[in-house]
Amino acid sequence: MSATREVISSGNELSAMAAVDAGCMFFAGYPLTPSSEVMHVSSDLLPKKGGTAIQMEDEIAGICAAIGASMSGIRAFTATSGPGISLKAENLGLAQMAEVPLVVINVMRGGPSTGLPTRVSQGDVAQAKNPSHGDYKSITLCAGNLEECYTETVRAFNLADRFMQPIIVLLDETLGHMHAKAVIPTVEAVEADIKLRKTFDGPAEEYKPYGVAQDEPAVLNPMFTGYRYHFTGLHHDASGFPTEEIETCRKLIDRLFRKVEEHEDELESYEEYMLDDADILLIGYGSASLAIREAVNVLREQGVKAGMFRPITLWPSPEAKMHELGQKFDKVLSVELNMGQYLEEIQRSMGRLDIEKLVKVNGRPFSPADIIEKVKEVF
Amino acid sequence: MSRIVMRFTGVGGQGVLLAGEIFAAAKIKAGGYGVKTATYTSQVRGGPTVVDIQLDDKEIFYPYAIDGQVDFMLSVAEASYKLFKNGVKEGGTIVVEPNLVHPTEEDRKKWNIVEIPIITIAKEEVGNVITQSVVALAIANTFTQALDEQILIDTMLSKVPKKVHELNLKAYELGKKYALEAMK
Repeated sequence: MSATREVISSGNELSAMAAVDAGCMFFAGYPLTPSSEVMHVSSDLLPKKGGTAIQMEDEIAGICAAIGASMSGIRAFTATSGPGISLKAENLGLAQMAEVPLVVINVMRGGPSTGLPTRVSQGDVAQAKNPSHGDYKSITLCAGNLEECYTETVRAFNLADRFMQPIIVLLDETLGHMHAKAVIPTVEAVEADIKLRKTFDGPAEEYKPYGVAQDEPAVLNPMFTGYRYHFTGLHHDASGFPTEEIETCRKLIDRLFRKVEEHEDELESYEEYMLDDADILLIGYGSASLAIREAVNVLREQGVKAGMFRPITLWPSPEAKMHELGQKFDKVLSVELNMGQYLEEIQRSMGRLDIEKLVKVNGRPFSPADIIEKVKEVF
Repeated sequence: MSRIVMRFTGVGGQGVLLAGEIFAAAKIKAGGYGVKTATYTSQVRGGPTVVDIQLDDKEIFYPYAIDGQVDFMLSVAEASYKLFKNGVKEGGTIVVEPNLVHPTEEDRKKWNIVEIPIITIAKEEVGNVITQSVVALAIANTFTQALDEQILIDTMLSKVPKKVHELNLKAYELGKKYALEAMK
């Protein structure tokens, strides 16, 4: 295990710290409850490292500036909540299509629309999978405790450079604002693990950023370094110029999928808690897992053998693992702070529809008692 | 120690969040686990605010106080008092600002209600209303004996600007004095 340090902090602060420690040099965004502290802390830390943090005029400008910064070759990020993701959606699509690495923190609150600004929700899980129109393969990570607000943000930066696309990190109001001890990797450990995007160092006239293997991401050299390419949201060829050539168009979208699908082993991440001897499987993620873990502990004290499966990489989902769990457990309960957005993915992965669900959409967190009561009611 | 659960309630803008952060940080410094969560409304000022603090030697997984398990509550606003009082366990202590919070006779039977004019102390005796969160901090620790006083004071001082250290120390001493008098 790598060296660690102990800090007393909140999820939002930890996420911003992680970005800076992971070598990010640029933040642009617009303050939105409950994510604003990510911007506050970034604007404190980044200039001290020679980086830049800008409060833009709106959410759209925030992501556009971050995309531009990333195209210059540096690590860049933005942070917001669900309403901001809605506004950024078009440019998330641009970053998918043009293959721009970017980290987007979404501290979820109640929705739709302006919803419940100061209240917790997990209502943006489905949105994270397809925020923009068109076909592409999203990568979404979901922190389940304070430590992961830090480590998942760090991982997101490495994955963005590996897969050359935006990576959404989901936090929620509870995690973003809760304040406690977190044991996180040292800055040195994080720095030692930084894996920057590939660059092409052959002759400039041979540079074809999108001319890569069908399971690989684009290789985008920093702009203005002599390696010229065309940048567009249109379907494009190996050098980035727009094209409608039939096979080129098919291969582009096919590659946007295959660069992720054929390397899902590099993305998969989940936690299994007390599953070995369990009879009842509870599935949940994010801050809901805090209540589930406590519920599992209490149920076990009462002689009920419950366990938890917690996906950390939500998209692509750990479908093979969930399929296996679906074979092993008869009694499965999905617990989400939405109407069942991930339940559909669990059903699909397990290939069965008889999954019990516990949902909450009033802006309040689950209490362990909510979960214990539901387990006793349905099983 | 076994788990101590505290709840500070007020309205947005009164600064009750800081006291919670200080408690959690001090417990962690003392070698344990401390968690603070805050719940507030989208009103910038005036909406009911509740801060839950849990302190334990063992790891705390669930960050919110569970209703019925709150040992000690402090309230400086009527609306939030009414909203959150039922989280306090029977026989638990509730300190209220008597100029702003008016518990019923029934409440007084159920809980140990203590009246301390927290805001008046901060405004008139300390000389700055902002120090009410430190007055509250001192009252809470005097009642619960949750933490070593020096660690709590050191943590508090590390979170406020140097130029107001004296003022906040005065606030702490006054909070402690009033709490001790109320406990007699």
